[in-house]
Amino acid sequence: MIGWYPIFLKEMLQFKRKLLRLGYIFSAMMAPIIYLVTFGLGLGRTVKLSEGTDYLTFLLPGLVAMSSMNNSYSWVASSLNLSRLYFKTFQVYIQSPVKPFSIMIGEVLAGMVKGLFASLLIITVGFVVPSNFSINLIFVVTLLFNCFMFASLGVITGMITKSHEDTATYSNFFIMPMAFFSGTFFSIDRIPTIFKPIIYIMPLTHTNVLIRKNYIDTEALISLLVILLYCTIFFLVGSNLMKKYNE
Amino acid sequence: MIRIESISKSYGKVKAVDSLSFEIKKGEIFGLLGPNGAGKTTTVKILTTLTKPDKGACYIDEIDIIQNPIEIKKIIGVVPQENNLERELTVYENLLIYGMLHKVKNLKSRIDEVLSAMGLQDKKNSVVSTLSGGLQRRTLLARALLPQPKVLFLDEPSIGLDPHIRRELWQIIRKIKSEGRTVLLTTHYIEEAETLCDRVGILSHGKLIALGTPSELKKDVGEYVVEFTDKDGRLVSQICHSREQAYEIAKQRSDGVMIRKSNLEDVFVKLTGERIKEIKEGQ
Repeated sequence: MIGWYPIFLKEMLQFKRKLLRLGYIFSAMMAPIIYLVTFGLGLGRTVKLSEGTDYLTFLLPGLVAMSSMNNSYSWVASSLNLSRLYFKTFQVYIQSPVKPFSIMIGEVLAGMVKGLFASLLIITVGFVVPSNFSINLIFVVTLLFNCFMFASLGVITGMITKSHEDTATYSNFFIMPMAFFSGTFFSIDRIPTIFKPIIYIMPLTHTNVLIRKNYIDTEALISLLVILLYCTIFFLVGSNLMKKYNE
Repeated sequence: MIRIESISKSYGKVKAVDSLSFEIKKGEIFGLLGPNGAGKTTTVKILTTLTKPDKGACYIDEIDIIQNPIEIKKIIGVVPQENNLERELTVYENLLIYGMLHKVKNLKSRIDEVLSAMGLQDKKNSVVSTLSGGLQRRTLLARALLPQPKVLFLDEPSIGLDPHIRRELWQIIRKIKSEGRTVLLTTHYIEEAETLCDRVGILSHGKLIALGTPSELKKDVGEYVVEFTDKDGRLVSQICHSREQAYEIAKQRSDGVMIRKSNLEDVFVKLTGERIKEIKEGQ
């Protein structure tokens, strides 16, 4: 038996139950649909992009990146925080003969599934609305890395937060600004040069660059390397926090 | 089976456990008795690898807890004070996940075995949150027993349970002992410690203040208690070593005097000194 599988299975059993509740799918889709309608179909009609692509085609991959980030991250951060501090179910893992590394893999994979599920909803919408939205291999690989990266970051938040309210604080300070300033809704070229270093530190910026590429050029390669670097750092820090768990 | 050597654990300035040392024999039910905040749960958390002690060493079946926690986790079962079952999952799913985590062989048939032993067969597919407190506690026990642990830790096992369910639980714990398992339970119920435990350690402010069988502990401090109401209307208890001594004290009181056998609460009160002070004031 693979060490991470029971952790992943538990999350999937819970996820399955949530999916059966009608409200879940609607709530998962609500924010991206609102953005799609207001920015894409509303404001977007007046936006002209330099490359000649229509705004909706530009926006949809960004929404997929944002939605996969939000869902992978929040699910893991929130469920880990609650299971550690409130339900105390996390203790069951710590008291079981599984390696901390396996717990980390199980949590991250479960977070990825949740992020991918939310992305799939947006992708479906993307194919329904009139646009030139399409998917290629770079898109799929970027999406997988993005889910992995933010699920790992979710583990870090879930392990270091001292109360459930803290999770919202981290989200407001890091996730929310990233969603808006990392090239989801407008090209990062429009951002004043003085702010660009901050924008390029944000991991989602590189997802947004890469997910819109049709081929690998220098810019794509740099973004891929940055994403891989963040994936490695977040995963190692998360694993280390699991290893050092002490009540 | 369990050896604790001068373990200490502090949270900030509070010493939760203070140079605690004792041993638990194989196959016994050992009770840690003490009021809330005495250090019982911290001791269990240390022994079950949740908390690392600041100082000291612990061994279970001669395995060092700090050096080799994974090996320890293979031989222990834990029933925590707070219900930590997955509430949204069924009883079966909870056991399935736990069994997988513990790499239990023939898991499905083993799940049926423990469910049957705990009288939970008809609750197998019930979602945990729909079960009563007593049934949830039994599910916790079933889960802990699934990998057939050598040592079972029960942290306040009967807290919040109705008296008749508590007695049912005691029967189950006796059965677990009869299977040759070692049990460490924490409790602040005097009756639970007296009727269930082979030996009891009394904890106060993180220190072990007495250790022995319930009858030894009572014998040491006095087996009889004289209870009477003083002139200010306060209940006063005085522990005596012999029935004669108890009669002598009782004779000096005109009415409302009762002589009874001592219990572990009297032992605790005498050792911590709190009520002894009251007697002096009353006299």
